[in-house]
Amino acid sequence: MIRLRGIGKRFAGRTLFQGLDLDLVPGHTTVIVGKSGSGKSTLLRVCNQLERHDTGTVECGPIAIPADLPVREWQRRATALRRRTGMVFQGFQLFPHLNVLDNVTLAPRVVQGVARAAAEVKAKELLELVSMRDAASRFPARLSGGEAQRVAIARALATDPEVLLLDEPTAALDPASTASVVAVLRDLRQRGFTLAMVTHDPDLGREIADTLFDLDANRGPTGDR
Amino acid sequence: MSPLVRILLLLAAAFVATSSAVAQSALPEQYRRAGVLRWGADAEGGAPFVFLDPARPAEGEVGFEVDLARELGAVLGVRTERVQAPYENLVPALERGDFDFVLNGFEATPERRTKVRFSRPYYIFNQQLTVGPGTTGVRSLGDLVGKRVGVLGQSMSHQIVLAHPGVEPAIYESNVTAYQDLVNGRIAGSLADVPIARAQRPLFPTLVDVGEPFHDAFYAMAVRREDDGLQRAIDDAVGTLLANGTLERIYRKWDLWTAAQQRLGTPEVALAHADAAAQTDLDWGTTFALLGLGAARTLLVSVLSFALALALGLCIALIRLHGPAPLRWAALAYVELFRGTPILVQLLLLYYGLGQFEALRLDAFYAGVLGLGLNYAAYEAEIYRGALLAIPRGQREAALALGMTTLQMLRHVTVPQALRLTLAPSTNDFIALFKDSSIVMVISYVELTKQYQMLANASGRFVLLGLITSALYLAMSLPLAFAARRFERRLDRDRA
Repeated sequence: MIRLRGIGKRFAGRTLFQGLDLDLVPGHTTVIVGKSGSGKSTLLRVCNQLERHDTGTVECGPIAIPADLPVREWQRRATALRRRTGMVFQGFQLFPHLNVLDNVTLAPRVVQGVARAAAEVKAKELLELVSMRDAASRFPARLSGGEAQRVAIARALATDPEVLLLDEPTAALDPASTASVVAVLRDLRQRGFTLAMVTHDPDLGREIADTLFDLDANRGPTGDR
Repeated sequence: MSPLVRILLLLAAAFVATSSAVAQSALPEQYRRAGVLRWGADAEGGAPFVFLDPARPAEGEVGFEVDLARELGAVLGVRTERVQAPYENLVPALERGDFDFVLNGFEATPERRTKVRFSRPYYIFNQQLTVGPGTTGVRSLGDLVGKRVGVLGQSMSHQIVLAHPGVEPAIYESNVTAYQDLVNGRIAGSLADVPIARAQRPLFPTLVDVGEPFHDAFYAMAVRREDDGLQRAIDDAVGTLLANGTLERIYRKWDLWTAAQQRLGTPEVALAHADAAAQTDLDWGTTFALLGLGAARTLLVSVLSFALALALGLCIALIRLHGPAPLRWAALAYVELFRGTPILVQLLLLYYGLGQFEALRLDAFYAGVLGLGLNYAAYEAEIYRGALLAIPRGQREAALALGMTTLQMLRHVTVPQALRLTLAPSTNDFIALFKDSSIVMVISYVELTKQYQMLANASGRFVLLGLITSALYLAMSLPLAFAARRFERRLDRDRA
């Protein structure tokens, strides 16, 4: 489980949050809400260290990442942390030079050293889970937004992450595509996956959350607000 | 040459050779009116013919031919003026009218006779074989079978080496570079005209002349085919300078006087210019074989050097984007250095500069591949860098979020995408390199363009051979451009 303790983050001379605590409890779905521009996405990206924090500690199992590590050691620990998490981006970020199947199998093969055949068996199961099994040989440019985001979810799950981080996963989608992605998220929650999601959509947040984390109420004394 | 003209020439020559009181034919009207005769010569590495003496730079151009031209002008009553032209292009430059006659240690070879008209000889020269320091047991070309012998391209020495099966000619644009390579040990010997060997010996004190000078040949002046009036005037003027001792005085001044020169006045020598050589034409089988060999060498040098440029360029781009600071600066310095200096200078430094050190002595082929590869790597590095920067940040974040290290991200996500972006500009660069590869001729590597130059100079068929050579270049570069476009279209199909 990911544990944030006393996290502070400044951005462009402004304190986004300070002294913030957050636990992503296994089997729970945590939804982070807050005003636009409040730093929701930044907080989520601190969870897998795509953003470094300025104070406090991020913990995940035996890995502890205090704020003031030297760059090399931080890189080593951040990579270890990321190997225990998965992330889904607002803009999908599928790899355009690889087809759907290769997008899903790349990380298991490269990062975990799984054999191609085994990785493909598992990738096909995950594509089945997100209803994209038939798209295995297509390239990302030929997918609709909803299809691409579901493939992105399968890709993020392929390394068996302890927690799946979702950064505004439906913000770039039309209503029909949104519904298909939400259906997948609901299914994942039912199956007991640990999810942490940032969304600007309060209805979606309320519907899917076990825990609703309101950043505006928890950002701590920022001093300039 | 028609029999009538030949008879007239024989008569004229016999007249010149036998009359002791030399009659001077009048200089054609056009030259008298201009008051000047322009003579073409190459001053590069031109001692003792025409050169700038580094010890006496204030004197300007000096040389025995400078003296000879001055005396010739005095006899003919006009000023003389030298025009610079590369030795190998003297014939076409003369035909084009860049100057009026050639005076540059020029030999009356059968090929040249078909293009220009030669004067009576003014100097009899022999061949001198020279070997490197510490070489023993070499007395003649026959002792150098299986070895490379340096010669000036298109010269008499070149032809003599070609007539010795088993001795491989190494062709140079200047005797100085041939002697330099002999010092460096790249070639086993060098064959040159005696005047050249004598004049340049002080520059290369470690080299040794072996065997007696051999093979009589003649230096003569050349005029345009239709300029027989000028030829007669020059013939008579040479006769005058020979008769009044001026030639001997000039040759003694330059340490060129040999007993052989006494035969300059004999009829068989004076008539040498009238030797009507059989009209030689290209042997097409040999021509195509030589051009094909040149094309294969061009292809080989281009492909190998571009492979080097691609690999090295990628490393440099990655270092510039992801390396530690000192390496980043070194990579930047590399790019600016190789882009900002002429490739010609880089090649000469690589070949002749490094060649001074035994351990760093590269042969022309490897020096060419290395020089072109190092130069183009700088350009490829910039193409890769631009392409890598064009990959969206989200792609890098997606790779990192999956737990990849920076190296894994580069290898599997950003570099493969960047390579697709570089395909079109890199193909352009390869086609450019393909044509630029002709520059390796300056380090004595005979590729397609050089082969063309030599064949065209020998035959005068600049246009026909030029078209054939161009077709060979196109035949090699077009399929490549076509394949690159096809590959690109296939990628586009996947992406859109």
